[in-house]
Amino acid sequence: MSAHPITLDDLPRDGERLDLTKVSKLNGLFLVVGGLGLVASLAYLFGFLGKDKQAEFAYSWLFAFFFFFTITCGGIFWTMLQHASNSGWSVVVRRLFENLGSSIGWMAVFVLPFVFIPAVQDALWEWIPIHREAAHHAHQEHISTYEALHHMAEKDHSKHILTSKYGYLNMSFWYVRVVVYFAILGALAYFLRKWSIQQDKDGSFKHTFRSRAFCCILLFPFALAVTFSAVDWVMAMDYTWFSTMWGVYIFAGGAWGAMAVSILALTYVRSNGYLHKVTSGEHYHLMGKLLFAFTVFWAYIAFSQFFLIWYANITEETRFYILRNTGGWWYLSHVLVWLHFAVSFVLLLSAGRKKRTAVMNALCFWVLLMHVVDWYWLIIPERGPSLSKGTVFWIDGAWVGDVIALLTMGGLVGWAYLRRLSKASLYPCRDPRLLESVTATN
Amino acid sequence: MARTTLKRVHGYLAEFDSASDVYHASEQIRDAGFQRWDVHSPFPIHGLNEAMGLKRSILPWFVFFGGAAGITTAFCLAYITQVGIYPTVVQSKPANIFTTAAFFPIMFELTILFSAFTTVFGCFALMGLPRLNHPLFAAKTFKKFSDDGFFICIEARDPKFHQAETRALLEGLGGKNIELVEDEL
Repeated sequence: MSAHPITLDDLPRDGERLDLTKVSKLNGLFLVVGGLGLVASLAYLFGFLGKDKQAEFAYSWLFAFFFFFTITCGGIFWTMLQHASNSGWSVVVRRLFENLGSSIGWMAVFVLPFVFIPAVQDALWEWIPIHREAAHHAHQEHISTYEALHHMAEKDHSKHILTSKYGYLNMSFWYVRVVVYFAILGALAYFLRKWSIQQDKDGSFKHTFRSRAFCCILLFPFALAVTFSAVDWVMAMDYTWFSTMWGVYIFAGGAWGAMAVSILALTYVRSNGYLHKVTSGEHYHLMGKLLFAFTVFWAYIAFSQFFLIWYANITEETRFYILRNTGGWWYLSHVLVWLHFAVSFVLLLSAGRKKRTAVMNALCFWVLLMHVVDWYWLIIPERGPSLSKGTVFWIDGAWVGDVIALLTMGGLVGWAYLRRLSKASLYPCRDPRLLESVTATN
Repeated sequence: MARTTLKRVHGYLAEFDSASDVYHASEQIRDAGFQRWDVHSPFPIHGLNEAMGLKRSILPWFVFFGGAAGITTAFCLAYITQVGIYPTVVQSKPANIFTTAAFFPIMFELTILFSAFTTVFGCFALMGLPRLNHPLFAAKTFKKFSDDGFFICIEARDPKFHQAETRALLEGLGGKNIELVEDEL
């Protein structure tokens, strides 16, 4: 126990600002990797390396996109949660969440290939070429797209489900939804960070109350945006398959990964000499507890989804797991059970371990690795069967694109994240709950 | 009821004005090396564990083994009956080790149940509950501990306990209404 209790006079009045020159090595590395990767990615995406590579890379891009998209949504979620629940402890680390959530602008750029490159859409979502064909017939025969689709379904009954789902799964609504998702998520990330930084300058309480109301109102639209973006871009890879737990599963993994990134970011800025006055092992412990909670929550959702489908044994639902329990994917499924859940669970169980920064650091790298595995397992098994119409299970060499896509987005998003950290104080230095947060104990 | 004259000294009870006083007094008593003493407060005081120098409770280990026993019990119960003794075929699923997924709900439940039991009963055991009475209940001022009183009691069984010195220590720390609490035998 310190001799005198800490007061606001002990803290720098304008907070602490990250000096970019101190982190220039890592930041330069991020930029170089991201920049080189971007060149390669664009070559893939625009089909300069051939139509096959383009189609294969579409899956790589989706895999990398969702890895970072879920983490970004997690960052937004943690910011919202702290405001909505009026949390005192988290004030000193909230800026890390805010900056993480603000990556959504970059995600809006990375989503563009899905919106503007038809070959990428056709490779990923089987329903889109079918709808395009229907629209073509409709144009020729002067009937509606829906009717044309209906005619196609009469010849090929496997397409019939597309007429039933037409109200939701149609091209114009799909484009509208892309815009709506990014409008909701973008508004959240933008305003929460903006008001928080404004408070650094004017110290007004109104920002705190305004943020709280904003978050409470938008929690529900946020949940819908995350859920339906996962439905539109991942679940729709197979338009016949469905699971009502899908959105929660994606959310749980994302919040888990976002907490790991934030703990790593905290350690990184601390190792450069920042935030020592305001954060301690107690904050690691508190964040570690949330990481632990989401380890369990993810497993609970993942198991429930598997269990219900496995138990009911209905043909249209089991496809997802049959594919992922065949061949090499069987091992990856077991990696998720034993390494994603069991190992993380046991390692995060101890309170003492959560307070030790070095251990938590290693654990967070582990969490991120498992989040990569999770997304690889969700996206990539579809690639072979989809692109080869069911004849090929695994496309040799396509993993190169996966690595490139992951490094590209990782480099650019990481570079932008560090730059964003340096734009304002590393913690909300005039938040009314600051002292409560600094002295937080478990 | 006839009262015996035999009494045993339980310890010194001192009252403090505030949570902060009792906190700082605890730090001093901890540093003086006392082992058998306790703080009584109407509400939990943050950081008091460290101020009292309390070690981490052994309870989490009980709970861990309680939970491990729960998961093992549930698995054995389900596996032996559903796979070993009387293989139950549902929806043409095999009855073997890969059927374990079907046992997860009960494995989960019993893990929770057993660890909850060990938490509650282990906690009771470590606190020495249940008991019918406590010597401190006889102290004059002690009733305030559940309302607005902050107390420290240094017990006589502590090896460092001394009739005059311990009293002087508590007085020096700002203790008021210091009372030698006696336990009727």
